[in-house]
Amino acid sequence: MLRDITLGQYYPGESFIHKLDPRIKILATFIYIIALFLVDTFIQYGWVLIFLGIIIAVSKVPLRFMLKGLKPLLIIIVLTFSINIFMTPGEVLYALGPLKITKEGVYQAFFMGSRLILLIIGSSVLTLTTKPINLTDGIEKLLNPFKKIGVPAHELAMMMTIALRFIPTLLEETDKIMKAQMARGADFESGNLFKRAKSLIPLLVPLFISAFRRAEELAMAMEARCYRGGENRTRMHEIAFQSKDIVAFIIVFLFLAIVLITNNL
Amino acid sequence: MPIKVENLIHIYNENSPYETIALDHINVEIQDGDFVGIIGHTGSGKSTFIQHLNGLLKPKSGKIYIDDTDITDKKIKAAEIRRKVGLVFQYPEYQLFEETVYKDVAFGPKNLGLEDIEVERRVKDAIQMVGLDYEDIKDKSPFDLSGGQKRRAAIAGVIAMKPQVLILDEPTAGLDPKGHKEILQIIKNMHVKEKNTILLVSHNMGDIAELADKIIVMEKGKIVLTGTPQEVYEKADYIEKIGLGLPPAMMLMRTLKQRGKEVKTNIMTIDEAEEQIINLIRSR
Ligand SMILES: Nc1ncnc2c1ncn2[C@@H]1O[C@H](COP(=O)(O)OP(=O)(O)OP(=O)(O)O)[C@@H](O)[C@H]1O
Ligand SMILES: [Mg+2]
Repeated sequence: MLRDITLGQYYPGESFIHKLDPRIKILATFIYIIALFLVDTFIQYGWVLIFLGIIIAVSKVPLRFMLKGLKPLLIIIVLTFSINIFMTPGEVLYALGPLKITKEGVYQAFFMGSRLILLIIGSSVLTLTTKPINLTDGIEKLLNPFKKIGVPAHELAMMMTIALRFIPTLLEETDKIMKAQMARGADFESGNLFKRAKSLIPLLVPLFISAFRRAEELAMAMEARCYRGGENRTRMHEIAFQSKDIVAFIIVFLFLAIVLITNNL
Repeated sequence: MPIKVENLIHIYNENSPYETIALDHINVEIQDGDFVGIIGHTGSGKSTFIQHLNGLLKPKSGKIYIDDTDITDKKIKAAEIRRKVGLVFQYPEYQLFEETVYKDVAFGPKNLGLEDIEVERRVKDAIQMVGLDYEDIKDKSPFDLSGGQKRRAAIAGVIAMKPQVLILDEPTAGLDPKGHKEILQIIKNMHVKEKNTILLVSHNMGDIAELADKIIVMEKGKIVLTGTPQEVYEKADYIEKIGLGLPPAMMLMRTLKQRGKEVKTNIMTIDEAEEQIINLIRSR
């Protein structure tokens, strides 16, 4: 039940997109996001949609999985939509007491709503087609130049790797403990807020204990294998640019160029 | 409380690349007071199966009748099922959470809505049943106990609910041989005393052969063999073929037979093996 969280879940595959260098994918996602914020007409959203559609088709990840990422953020999307539709001043179309829907509001709401949805789906492409380990490797490599000004690139990446590694484990553990307490008649679903918070104790105590135990064991295992940070560390799989990465980079820049050219400014 | 399972199917992560068919058309009947042993390889679906029996997992399709009520029905209250069917998970000590052993064992009975006096009586009974000293241990923190004591305290937490059906998922996993034996003895004693139905999941053929009066063999989400230990071990060759071991007593008899000794090979327990060996010596 708890394992149904997709945001950041890898969808295994062998597509062109899957095989790209993680650094390229991260940079491309940034460029995509920048382009998305430069967009100022609906027609341009058409371009974005075509671009995103092609990427998704090439990645061979079923659309269903892309859309799944929207579910947990539905509240934010709805909130953005509502705030824009009611709070934008302008020509009133419909008034509901103090709430006024304006023509500009409707435009703004759809405009911002589309931006948010395209943003979420676009970033899902990155996490769905890149293994978490490759993702953190890519981040580390991208941050490397900033080491000189004191950015702890390796440590940040290692922390992310460990966190990502333990999310499924912790979810699994939560699921197990929850079931074990439910078998003893615990009820996590009914009652008022106070009662519900209290009912979480039988879940949280064992969960914290096991999380601390795991952390300790992991630290010990790393130390036993002489881990001592990023200095002089080499890796088993070096990531390296290939010709398809350059192709991908050119395509993304073409996309950015199209958005810039068609821009109103 | 007979249990009847019909065409049970369970699929994890359906329609995703991680799809696993964990249970594939399970059909089985369990009678009142049976001691059922469930064996099967890692990943054969044992844990998935038993979690259906007290409603923790819902099947994709199929029916489970307990006392003629279908517990897969959405209208059935979960609490109703949990009162009847108790489940001890693998490594149950990880579910301990209270400040004292008493409070932890009392968690289940309290959730059943019992009176304080009744709760106290049950907690006391349960703690004694698992072989711990009630007065000595009731005010201790469960986290200060030894591994074996934690395991017992956790099992007591389920026993205290006095379920008519008690399911234990590998209750001896990770214990030393002494602890292993003691836990099994506790289960056996309780079965005799309470006359409840017991389902014991185990990897250990010897244990199952000694304790169970009915065996279910699972393989890749299916039940491949069921029956009395006698009936199941008639198919000794098949059991070996799917990579499950045979009870040690039976292994011994089969080896003796291979060496040309006149012994019966459908032997399950140490007692029977002893009898065979004595006969063999006498017949010289
Ligand atoms: N929560 C889950 N999500 C996804 N797949 C699962 C989950 N639990 C079990 N599985 C899969 O279902 C299958 C059956 O698992 P199950 O835990 O029932 O086996 P088991 O017989 O209890 O094994 P073991 O002897 O190792 O405890 C396995 O292939 C397992 O990978
Ligand atoms: Mg199991």
